[in-house]
Formats: sequence, structure tokens, C-alpha cells
Amino acid sequence: MNARATLWHVFGWGTVVFMLSPLLILVLFCFSKSSLISFPLTGFSLIWFETLFARGAFWTAFENSLTVTGTVGVVSTVIGTMAAMGLSRMRRRFASVNIAALTLPVMLPPLVLGVALLTYYAGVGMKLGLHTVILSHLVFTQPFVILIVHARMANFDYAIVNSARDLGATPFRAFSSITLPIVRPTVIGAALVAMALSIDDFIITIFTIGGGNTLPTFLWGMLRKGVNPSVNIVGLILLTVTICASLIALRLTRYRG
Amino acid sequence: MIRLLRARGLLVAPSWTAFLLIFVAPLVYFFVVSFWRVSAFKMRPDASLANYIQTVTDYNASILFTFLVALTIAVLVTVVAFGFSFYIRFKVGRFGDTFLFIVLITLFGGYLTKIYVWKTILGENGVLNSALLSLGLIRDPITVFLYNPAAVVITLGHYTLPLAILPIYGALRGVEDTPLRCAQDLGASHWRVVRDIILPQCRIGILFAFTLTYLFAAGDYVTPQLVGGPYTSMIGVLIQLQFGFRFNAPLGSALAFTMIAIALLTVGIVAFALREWLRPRG
Repeated sequence: MNARATLWHVFGWGTVVFMLSPLLILVLFCFSKSSLISFPLTGFSLIWFETLFARGAFWTAFENSLTVTGTVGVVSTVIGTMAAMGLSRMRRRFASVNIAALTLPVMLPPLVLGVALLTYYAGVGMKLGLHTVILSHLVFTQPFVILIVHARMANFDYAIVNSARDLGATPFRAFSSITLPIVRPTVIGAALVAMALSIDDFIITIFTIGGGNTLPTFLWGMLRKGVNPSVNIVGLILLTVTICASLIALRLTRYRG
Repeated sequence: MIRLLRARGLLVAPSWTAFLLIFVAPLVYFFVVSFWRVSAFKMRPDASLANYIQTVTDYNASILFTFLVALTIAVLVTVVAFGFSFYIRFKVGRFGDTFLFIVLITLFGGYLTKIYVWKTILGENGVLNSALLSLGLIRDPITVFLYNPAAVVITLGHYTLPLAILPIYGALRGVEDTPLRCAQDLGASHWRVVRDIILPQCRIGILFAFTLTYLFAAGDYVTPQLVGGPYTSMIGVLIQLQFGFRFNAPLGSALAFTMIAIALLTVGIVAFALREWLRPRG
């Protein structure tokens, strides 16, 4: 192996280590006995899990997260899939303009979207709560659903749907017994991506939630009160949920770059 | 035909409604607010440029600093992302899919978690210092890891790297091998092949990665707050303050739109420069 190739491998593996090591450190210190997050490790225990699970506030935040993510997942997937289906049968140029517009919320820094929504809700006299969080999450999750489902529809064979229609199926019947079963894995994958983004969102949530907590804002509250290793566990939960969701989504949508 | 068009329009309608009501309307309202003023903790409609004037007179140092940090992050991340994508595409062989997989699983989620982990790694009693101490490499903890702009660069770089790798790798995957072989057989150097064949085909992917990273870094406030320390006053922190203790939404709005304007301008310049640089040569 020559020097150039060695350098490339050092760089490549170095990048992978850089990307992964923080996550591994997080997992490691979830199980550490010590209350300090530092080496050397003095032993392993599940004490920080017990500490966290004994807190009522954690479970409230957990429930709120489930409510928000569940609702966002369903609504975002339904409206995003509808849009993707509609767009896939329009002229290509027109469809891509639509998609570019609808994807804009993803490009805007979340902070700007968060404070703009906060000002707007206050301006129109809307009380903040989980419902405003859900509404706000729709805006930045639906672009992903549209992109993923639309990409699948690009090589969808409409001939079978047209045959079903010719044989007298109503548009709804054709959709539910032909189109949906074929694209179902992609739609579920898109829903999981939307939910992963929603459950992990901190910035937009903290500006639009008013009082209560979801898991990320609960984590933020813990961070401000001084670090205790059970913070790691909230982090681990968020990370595990999002990684699992994206793994399953990857498999389902067969996304490759 | 008209019925069909209407049906397709109806399918897109809910998405557009959400987009208009929860994205466009709030942004328009928020923009209008930037010309208002605040008195006695209430916003009063106005048509003044006072907030913008205050933005460029009082906060110009922060703005400049923010964009320097964001530019550093975006350039570093784009270069590393290109290198890594290049490595996966051309150099790594059988591990390529595994490496790409690792990138993908770190893509979604863990925003707050990742920032916070870097705080525990870089802190005075943190993972890095304690590891170095117990290995006997240092005698006293190093305090310079945390609470400085470099910590912000590392932390945001770590968060945005997977986001930047995907579009670039997507572009690199489309590059065909045959022209590369031909160029090499005809005596082109490695650099010449990269510069004249590979880079021009990845221009859009590179620009997309840069833009994503740059906008995200310029607009973030959590990272500077958690790992940046008191001297890292980035514009995001200032914007966020106007919606907390200071309660000055109009000023916050002016800061936000100034930031977006500068960001778009920079991206425009970078897009132009990239196109000029990668223009086919005779």
C-alpha cells in the first residue's frame, strides 16, 4: 500500500471515528456508576435509569412527545402523500416548482422559523400549547414526505391504475386497492422520517410550546439545572428512537444516497 | 380533463394550505413586524427602519463574527464531506456501503443530544481531559477545549457533516468511471481529473451541502450558548434573547432578516464563484 492510499484510509477512518465517537461516549456513560461524566470509569450500574424514571416530569414530557410525534406523523404523511400523488401526475416542470416551494421551510434556519411562528401565533391571538407545536412541525416534516413519496412515484407504472379505472373502479377504490399497497413501504418510511424529525425537534418546539415540555425541551431544562448522568439517558432515548426510525425507513424506502 | 386537473389540484391543496398558513403567513407577518416598535412591552405598528439601523450599528461585530464562524464551518464541512464522499466512492472498496450506512444513521436526529455530548467531551472535567489525564499524557486539565469558537466549529461541524455528505455523495455516484480512465490514460494528473471531470459534475451537490451547512450554522443559537462561552456572541443568541428577557420581537425580526439577507448574498457569491471556477477550460 503506498503512502497516498494510507493517507486516504487515515482520513476516511478518522472521519468515521469523529462521527461515531460522541454517540458511543453517550451510550457508555448512560451505564456509568459515577455521577461525573469522565474517565476512568468506576463501574457500571442502571442507577441513572432509575433516577430518571422516578421523575413524574419525565413521563409527562414523554407523553407529550408521543402526542406530538404521533399526530405530526399521521397528518404530515397523509397530506404529504396526497401532494406527492397529485404532483406525480402533473407536468414535470410544474411539479418541481411546487416541490421547490414546499421544501423552502427546510432551508430556513429553525430559529427564524421558531421565532416567526411565535410572533405570528401571538399576533393572531392563538394560545400556545401542544397544538401549536403540532402545527409548526407539519411545515418542516411534510417536505420530506413529499420528496420521498414523489421519488417513488417517478417510476410508478400508472397503467395498472388506469386498467382498474377502465374496469370500473372508483378513484378511491383504485387508490386503496392498487396504488397504496404498492407504495405502502415508501409511505411508512416517509412517516418514520417525519416522526424522527418531529420527536427530535427542539428549537421550534421551545418557541411554540408555551408551558409544557416534550423530551427535547425537558432535556434542555435538565441541562440548565446542572449536568446529571440521567441527562444522557434522555439523550440516548431520543437518539435510539430517531436512529431506529431512520434505519427502518431506509430499509423500507430503499434509499441509497 | 378539467375534472382531472381539479382532482390533482385538490390533492395538493392541504399541503399548500399548511405551507401558506404556517410558513408564508408567519414569515410575512414577522417581516412586517421588523418595521414596528415596542413600547411598554407591547408591539406598536410603525413604519420605521430603526430596528435595522440598530442592527447594523449595535450588532455589526456579532454579525461579522457569526458569518466568519459560519463560513469556517461551511467550508471545512464541505471540504471534509467531499473528501469523505470521494473516499467512499473511489477509494474504500468493500467498506463503502458500511461507511455510507454510518453516515445515514447519524443523519436524522439527536440535535440537542449531539451538542450536549460535545460539552461533556470538551469540558474541564470532561471525557477528553479525564482520558488524557488517566493516560498520563497531561498533568492538569486543559481548559481551552470548551467555551470558545473552536468548540462551536467542532460541534456544529459534527452535526452538519452527514447532511453535507449526502448531496455530495449523491452527485459523485453519478460520475461515471470510463471518462476518468480515459483522462488518466491520456496522461491527466490526479488533480486534473478531479478538477476538470469530477468537480464540475458535483457542483450542484457541493453548493447544496455548503448552503445547508452555512445557513444552519449562521442561524444556530443552542451551540454557541452551550459550548461557545461568553465571548462567542453569535447572532442567533441575540435573536433568541429578543424573545426571552428583552422582549423586543421587532428588533429580533430585523436581526433575523438581516441575517437571512447576508446569508443569501454569501450563498449567491459562492454559487457564482464556484461556477466560474468550474467552467470548462479550453
